Amino acid sequence: MKSELEKIVDSGQKLGAEYVEVRAQNLFKTVITVKDSRVEVVRKGTENGAAIRVLLNGVWGFASTGTLEPKQLIESVTEACKMAKAASLQVKEPAKLADVKAVEAEVRIKRQRDPKEVPIEQKIDFVLANDKTVFDYDKRVKSCTVNYLDVSGTNYFANSDKTYIEQDKLYLYVATVVWAKETDKLTLAHDLVGYTTGFEIFDTETPEIIGRRAAKRTVDLLKAKIPKGGTYPAVIGPQIIGVFAHEAFGHLAEADLTLAGSVLIDKLGKKVGSDIVNIIDDGTMEGAFGSYKYDDEGVPSQKTTLIKNGEIVGLMHNRETAQKYGTKPTGNARAEDFRYEPIIRQRNTYFTRGDHSFEELLEGIKFGFYIKNYRGGQANLDGTFQVGVQEAYEIVDGEVGAPIRNVSFSGNTLETLYKVEAVGKDFELNVGVCGKGQPAFIGAGGPHVRVKEVLLGGGA
Amino acid sequence: MAELKPHELLNFGEKAIKIAMKKGADEAEAFIAETLSTIVRIERGQIVKNIRKKDQGLGIRAVYNKTVGFSYTNMLSDKSIEETAVEAFRSAKASKPDKDWSGFPKPKKFGTTTGTYDKKLAAISSDELVDVASIMLTEAADYDKRVLAAFGSAETRLSSKAVVNSHGIEAFDEGTSIVCDLSAVAREADEVTPMCTEFNAERVYKIDPKWVGREAAKQAISSLKARKIDSGTFPVIFGQLALFDVLYFTFINAVKADQVQRKQSALEGKIGQKVTSDMITIYDDGLAANGLQTWKFDAEGTPCQKTPIIEKGILRHYLYDCYTAKKDKVESTGNATRSGIASYQSTPVIQATNFTINSGNKSPDDLIEEVENGVIVYGFQGAHSSNPSTGEFSVVATPAWKIEKGEISYAVKGAMLAGTIFDVLSNVSALGNNVRKVEQLVAPWITVKNVRVIGK
Repeated sequence: MKSELEKIVDSGQKLGAEYVEVRAQNLFKTVITVKDSRVEVVRKGTENGAAIRVLLNGVWGFASTGTLEPKQLIESVTEACKMAKAASLQVKEPAKLADVKAVEAEVRIKRQRDPKEVPIEQKIDFVLANDKTVFDYDKRVKSCTVNYLDVSGTNYFANSDKTYIEQDKLYLYVATVVWAKETDKLTLAHDLVGYTTGFEIFDTETPEIIGRRAAKRTVDLLKAKIPKGGTYPAVIGPQIIGVFAHEAFGHLAEADLTLAGSVLIDKLGKKVGSDIVNIIDDGTMEGAFGSYKYDDEGVPSQKTTLIKNGEIVGLMHNRETAQKYGTKPTGNARAEDFRYEPIIRQRNTYFTRGDHSFEELLEGIKFGFYIKNYRGGQANLDGTFQVGVQEAYEIVDGEVGAPIRNVSFSGNTLETLYKVEAVGKDFELNVGVCGKGQPAFIGAGGPHVRVKEVLLGGGA
Repeated sequence: MAELKPHELLNFGEKAIKIAMKKGADEAEAFIAETLSTIVRIERGQIVKNIRKKDQGLGIRAVYNKTVGFSYTNMLSDKSIEETAVEAFRSAKASKPDKDWSGFPKPKKFGTTTGTYDKKLAAISSDELVDVASIMLTEAADYDKRVLAAFGSAETRLSSKAVVNSHGIEAFDEGTSIVCDLSAVAREADEVTPMCTEFNAERVYKIDPKWVGREAAKQAISSLKARKIDSGTFPVIFGQLALFDVLYFTFINAVKADQVQRKQSALEGKIGQKVTSDMITIYDDGLAANGLQTWKFDAEGTPCQKTPIIEKGILRHYLYDCYTAKKDKVESTGNATRSGIASYQSTPVIQATNFTINSGNKSPDDLIEEVENGVIVYGFQGAHSSNPSTGEFSVVATPAWKIEKGEISYAVKGAMLAGTIFDVLSNVSALGNNVRKVEQLVAPWITVKNVRVIGK
């Protein structure tokens, strides 16, 4: 593949591009969907394609095509250059790239069982076992959907800085959604797991463990009541603190969004939260859902500290924003597949541990909420965030009390970071799929954290 | 400009079906799609990228002994089509039978569609699209110097699709679309506004980038000096983007037949009953002229149609694909779609087409004037965290403004709205005359009384 891609890079340079990169992929996917114990579909697919990006007169041109045929790739690089030229007349501030060391690398993921080699029957049995556990858990379980996805294959990367990388891709993902009903009350909860390891992971994370967890969560919600909305002290669990780290803070620290006017635009080097707040975006955690070795600009992934002792010490960069900030790229440029251009994305984003036990965090809260499990979240550039909650409990006199439902909490990120009062000593990393114009697999997590107050949107 | 001619798409489908049938499939169906898109992207007040994408592929469903297998490829060569068809059959053999499987649809006559293809759009140059983006930028910058056009784009798309099945369906359709959007923020001293997004989407080349640029900028400026408000129960005017956000994740799911049949919908068993205010009438119109989701046929080759969902508050019908329709012994309403990054990767799922809420006779100004003390909301943050089964939502209103004595008085900061969509639709008190298209929704502004707002 190397010489084929290098030829395309050469022709882009001959057409006048300052920078040329070619990404090619050869991926296999399997999706199994089981709805209420019925195998709705077993879906297998092959995806080959290439993405060509050029920088010409300071403007990006991008062309993608679902083929790896040399003739078509030459057409695409010509197209990309043409596209950049068409836009370059309007440009005021030409894009430039931070220098990086050229890399030549082959990344092979260690695994015992490549999902591509696992018989389809075995994958179907795995999903059906998950479904069966859910329905066996409680007769109030009325419906269940399990989606299984595996992706394997190889990405190829070459650019005009003489970097060439072949990198294996491997993802396993299981989403279990459960509905339960009792008289007129209908509840819904989900469970997500994801790995960048081989199929052997399911020997320990068995379908029974996954199914039971999802079912319990949904059935427990039947007892939950809708709380009164308002401002309350809260203990936030690892799942939600992860969503907060990713949604409420992380997006604001993606340098493209920072430059686009996020509230962090002039905050680098400044204090934005209490001393005990530390947030990291780490692409190097072994087997984690948001980990990878090289990003889609060929830059090595790394562990990037965003907040240290309450102060912003770093942002997440691609080569272009790193150049603007006069710093080094952090390896956060990711593209979902050949159809998309790389943009700044998070990896595994988390609060680091503190020194409090869970009981110590609850201590002294007369009335508040323990917010445990999420259903989506979203942030805006002004720092307003919203996190939907699927599992939460009252805290009464320092003890976890009755469950509540249909809430989300909201606030301003920077105000909330100052309201962090205590950080737990536990730690958990969870998985998610982030959407920023294109999907990306990410990890998010942290310990339990106590916050002085959050705005809870509940019932009347 | 489409690289593949109609007969080429259909030929690929026929080839795939023939191979699957020869292998021993009882039935087979191929879905073939091609999309060519051109996108100009705006970041930080300038054009930064110009993109051309071509994506094509084929997905095949093969049925063996009431068991469905599916496989897809994005390489349309004889060899990979053969491999894909064989793989689909193999998947069917490896999987488990579905006793309710009732077969692919039979051919039926399609209705006519208008305003879904514009040859000017099919041949648009990237220079012209760069101009569209520049117009938005200029308008926004000229509006006020505190505005930053954070993100935006101008995009055209030429899509063609074909469905072929072993019962004789051979359908082809093509369509165009154009969309331009701009997300602006305003900054003053230490204050940053939330992102204010405006857009214009059409099937034909008739868009107004000037309006988009100006309107996004205007919303951003009027979002400055935002204040927190007290909690309470207020009349709320829902703009169409806000309405779409919350309907898409709640009510639209509740009328999908699969959700109903699987007991996940709060509207199960409510056909013929009153479920919203009698001011509300909703049609799902897959054949609407110039509709953003208008096609001759759906993802299974069933004709698209106009289906009554709510008539004066009474629930009339659910949205069906072929499988769920046979289960309920009704006809498919032509609501099968293929979702995801590329349509050919997916098996059919039920989705609304042009979900059309009736309009009223009040101008936007009239609606605002009628509100003594309330809120107007243009968008929501977090609507995707709503509960699709119960219709419960708990979201942040951004951007939103306070209405006092019939006038917009100031921007509202961080207010949350909570309730259920069924209460919202039951408490509608007025409908605007300003219909617009937002994704699957066609609707005016609506005023809803007694909405719970959590301010501080």
